[in-house]
Amino acid sequence: MAVGSRVLEAAGLVRPGRLARIREWWEQEHVFGYGLILPALLLIVCLVAYPFAMAIYFSLSDYWVGSPGKFTGLQNFRDILGNEIFQRTVYNSFVFTSIAVAFKTVLGIWLAMLLFRSFRFKRLIRGAVLLPWVIPTALSTLAWVWMFDSLYSVVNWTAIRLGIMSPPGPNWLGMPNYAMTAVIAVNVWRGLPFFAIIVLAGLVSIPREYYEAAAVDGAGSWGRFRHVTLPLLKPVLAVVILFSTIFTFADFNIVRVLTRGGPVNTTHLFATLAYQVGLDGGNLGQGAAISLFLFPMLAAIVFLQLRYIRKE
Amino acid sequence: MQATSRREFLRVTSGATAGMASWLALGRAPAFAQKRELTFLSWNHFVPASDDELRKQADAFGKLANCEVRVDTIAHLQLPAKFAAEAQAQSGHDLRLSFGADPFLYENLLADVGDIIDELGKKYGGWYPFAKEGSQTASGWKAVPWFWISFPATYNMTHFKQAGLETPKTWAELLHHGKILKKQGNPVGIAISHCADANSTFWSVLWSYGGKVLEADGKTPAINSDKTAQVIEWYKELYQDAMESEVLSWDDASNNRCILAGKCSWIHNPISPYNLALAKKMPIADEINHHNSPGGPAGIHSAPPINLIAIWKFSKNVQLAKDFVRFLFQKENYDAWIVASNAFNHPPLKHLADHPIWARNPKFAMLPKEAEYAHERGWPAKPNAAVQLIQVNYVLPDMVAKAVNGMPTKRAMAWAEDQIKLAVQGKLREAGA
Repeated sequence: MAVGSRVLEAAGLVRPGRLARIREWWEQEHVFGYGLILPALLLIVCLVAYPFAMAIYFSLSDYWVGSPGKFTGLQNFRDILGNEIFQRTVYNSFVFTSIAVAFKTVLGIWLAMLLFRSFRFKRLIRGAVLLPWVIPTALSTLAWVWMFDSLYSVVNWTAIRLGIMSPPGPNWLGMPNYAMTAVIAVNVWRGLPFFAIIVLAGLVSIPREYYEAAAVDGAGSWGRFRHVTLPLLKPVLAVVILFSTIFTFADFNIVRVLTRGGPVNTTHLFATLAYQVGLDGGNLGQGAAISLFLFPMLAAIVFLQLRYIRKE
Repeated sequence: MQATSRREFLRVTSGATAGMASWLALGRAPAFAQKRELTFLSWNHFVPASDDELRKQADAFGKLANCEVRVDTIAHLQLPAKFAAEAQAQSGHDLRLSFGADPFLYENLLADVGDIIDELGKKYGGWYPFAKEGSQTASGWKAVPWFWISFPATYNMTHFKQAGLETPKTWAELLHHGKILKKQGNPVGIAISHCADANSTFWSVLWSYGGKVLEADGKTPAINSDKTAQVIEWYKELYQDAMESEVLSWDDASNNRCILAGKCSWIHNPISPYNLALAKKMPIADEINHHNSPGGPAGIHSAPPINLIAIWKFSKNVQLAKDFVRFLFQKENYDAWIVASNAFNHPPLKHLADHPIWARNPKFAMLPKEAEYAHERGWPAKPNAAVQLIQVNYVLPDMVAKAVNGMPTKRAMAWAEDQIKLAVQGKLREAGA
């Protein structure tokens, strides 16, 4: 329309000022800002806050599928704390998370340094490295199920042929330590690209001059890594480790597909146990209580790490 | 260009909001179609042709009753979450597959189907005993037993002939034979792990030795007994001398692979390995055969998967849904469905079990007999919520796994008893006891 609204207004075609007043109101900074945030806020309320509040409500009641429960206070929490399977799950979660995150950190920095170098097909390879992170976990873990299969394990077959293992090789998913190793290995395999790519971004942002200055001062490659790369990567590392810890702690797919918590609950994590009790078993109250245990632990980790980042 | 007045704007938007609010409150989109629709949520059948036949019959019923019948099938592992969501929303399908503790968990939300049970029982020579165990709650019949899946012994005839052995009639004989067969390089394969088969076989062995997990009242733990100790000792010996440690890692497909690979001599499983070998024309199909589940001092007992049809109480079409169930149970329909499933679907009614498909194949001939040994999990208790928790937490296979890994039998039993007490406690409070 070529005619401006003011002209229309002047001609009396639009009631004077209404549109303009709305626009004026909308364009105020505090209104406009909140207006833009509103959709995100609504999403968070509907998809995060509401389920979270429901989970808290469930955890305080004896809610079973099909029968709304009564308020029971902290009974669910008392029950699970006294349950050997839950105690084992807490232990598993800490072992699983600490070992997996440690491996991902070390290997992630290593992989990032390798990818940082110039080589042929750099872009292609950098892209390919992301594959484990991109493929749906449930699918890729199925491939791992085959690799650890008791009868047709590719891992054992190869190692036996190479003379590294004596037949039949480890019973990967049947023995507690091996099963935990397997679950951690798959988690590291999957989480490594995330680590490497973000650390790579951190590496790229380190100015070249620091390395040149360090080299002039006589620093070798280890010295440059220790005194230049690592300190400058710290903020990035802190954030990646924070995210990775949260993802790893709350992992579900890998354990659910690979071991279903077995052998004898030695690989159960909070999420898998909560699903098993709450949805498979129908005890929603207790399932919610188990999954809520994640919350204070993750909150503590987030708090410590954010404080550390702020200090830096 | 007509500007909307504030009053008009408010009128329209508040009307729309109220409309939306009422949809949200009802939990469903407004109905535009006038034709009645009947919906059934079931699983993806292991034999897909069975679902095709079901849909064909659904269409036929739709024409008869002048309605639209929709059969939705999803992976059976996703069903519990879906049922929970429908119960929560009080909306969803009209009919649903049901199994295990469902009739008890959803007791207040399922329509009574006692009339169909009476009718069909009279028509077809009565229900097998397990029907009552799994579908009749304190407040009436909450589901119609639909079909069960036989859980016999599957064995490799060549391995047995080579060792000069007959098929085992009891679990004790299986142990004896298994020792010989393992030396021959053909171990027995019974899962002791977090999988459904591990649960099924354990119930079977426990009952055969006269043991039980709960008393008939459904709340008194009964696992800690000499009978259970005997069963654990049996498992320990079998694990040591007749099986390999891989059974500790097995999932539900592992024992199938083990017998199809020509390694295992004997497994306890539905007939799927044999059917798969036939379908894929594997030469091993000729060597595989079945025999009835073994027994013990207390007789033969088995815990086959049993599937039921239930009708949500919130359905607007309860009567129509009942007619649909009756239709599926008409002899010609049910027979066609058995044939479509290649003898996989076993009827819970005595006269329907006379179908010639089993007698025709000597490898299937003994299968219908398994119905007489069948019980719901938890028996002599009902398969209630506590039994469900014991099942999904794999308490029973884990008790055995602990023992075969070196925990003294008494301690393993005490551990299981603790878990069973916790499972029962959760449910007792809910029942207000």
